Amino acid sequence: MAKSKTDTTLDRRGFLKGIGTGAAGAATVAAGVTTTSPALAAESTTDKKKARYRESAHVKKFYATNRYL
Amino acid sequence: MARMKFLCDADRCIECNACVTACKNENDVPWGINRRRVVTINDGKPGERSVSMACMHCTDAPCAAVCPVDCFYTTDDAVVLHSKELCIGCGYCFYACPFGAPQYPKTANFGSRGKMDKCTYCAGGPEADNTKAEYVAYGANRLAEGKLPLCAEMCSTKSLLAGDGEIIAQIYKERVAKRGYGSGAWGWKTAYKEDIAT
Repeated sequence: MAKSKTDTTLDRRGFLKGIGTGAAGAATVAAGVTTTSPALAAESTTDKKKARYRESAHVKKFYATNRYL
Repeated sequence: MARMKFLCDADRCIECNACVTACKNENDVPWGINRRRVVTINDGKPGERSVSMACMHCTDAPCAAVCPVDCFYTTDDAVVLHSKELCIGCGYCFYACPFGAPQYPKTANFGSRGKMDKCTYCAGGPEADNTKAEYVAYGANRLAEGKLPLCAEMCSTKSLLAGDGEIIAQIYKERVAKRGYGSGAWGWKTAYKEDIAT
C-alpha cells in the first residue's frame, strides 16, 4: 500500500518534470526563432551603410510636382 | 553623393496631419508612437505657423553621440538609422535629440521602455532590404524601392519636401522667389538671431 503511494508520487513528479522539460524546450525553440531570424537577414556593416537613394522616374516626378508654383 | 533631407515649407503647411497618418500606416507604427508630428505655434492667433517634424537626420547626430551601446549609424545617403538588436531603451537619445524624435513603446507597467523607435526616412534598418524582419522592426524601405518617404509624397499642399538636399533647397528657393517672401527656413531667425529681409 505504502509502496503504491510512493509510486504515484514519483509518477506525478515525473509528469511534472516532463512538463517542465517540454516547456523549457519550447522556450528554447521560441527564443531561437526570435533571435536567429533577424540575425540571418542582417546586412554587413558596408551593406547597411550603402546609398539606396536613386533618382528614379518616381523621384523625378515628385520633384517635378513640387516645382509647380 | 546626395544627402537626404526633410524641409517643411511652413507657409504651405495646413496642419492636416496626413504626413503623420501616412507614416503610421506605411511603417505599421504601433499605438503610442508617432514618428512624425505636426507642431503648431501661436495656434488660433494671427501669424499661426505649423511645421511637420520628425527625425531631421542630423549630420552630427547628438543621439549617436550619447548612445552607450553605439546602435546608431549614418548611411551614405546621410540617413541616421539605428539597430534595435543593440538598443537597450535607455532613453539617452530622447534627452539628446533637439526634435524629440526618439520614441519608446510601452512594453510593461512601471514606466519601463522598449526599444527606441524613430523616423527611418523610409529606409528600413540594418536587416536585408525589404524583408519581413526589416519591415516588422523598422517599417518600409521605400528608399531601396526608388521612392521617397511617404509623408512627403503624400503632402497635399506640397509643404513637406524630402529628397536630395540640393534639389529640395532649390525648389524652396524658387518658391520663395515667386512668393516674394519667406526667405530662409522658418525658425532661422529664432535660432540664429539674424535679421533677414523678408
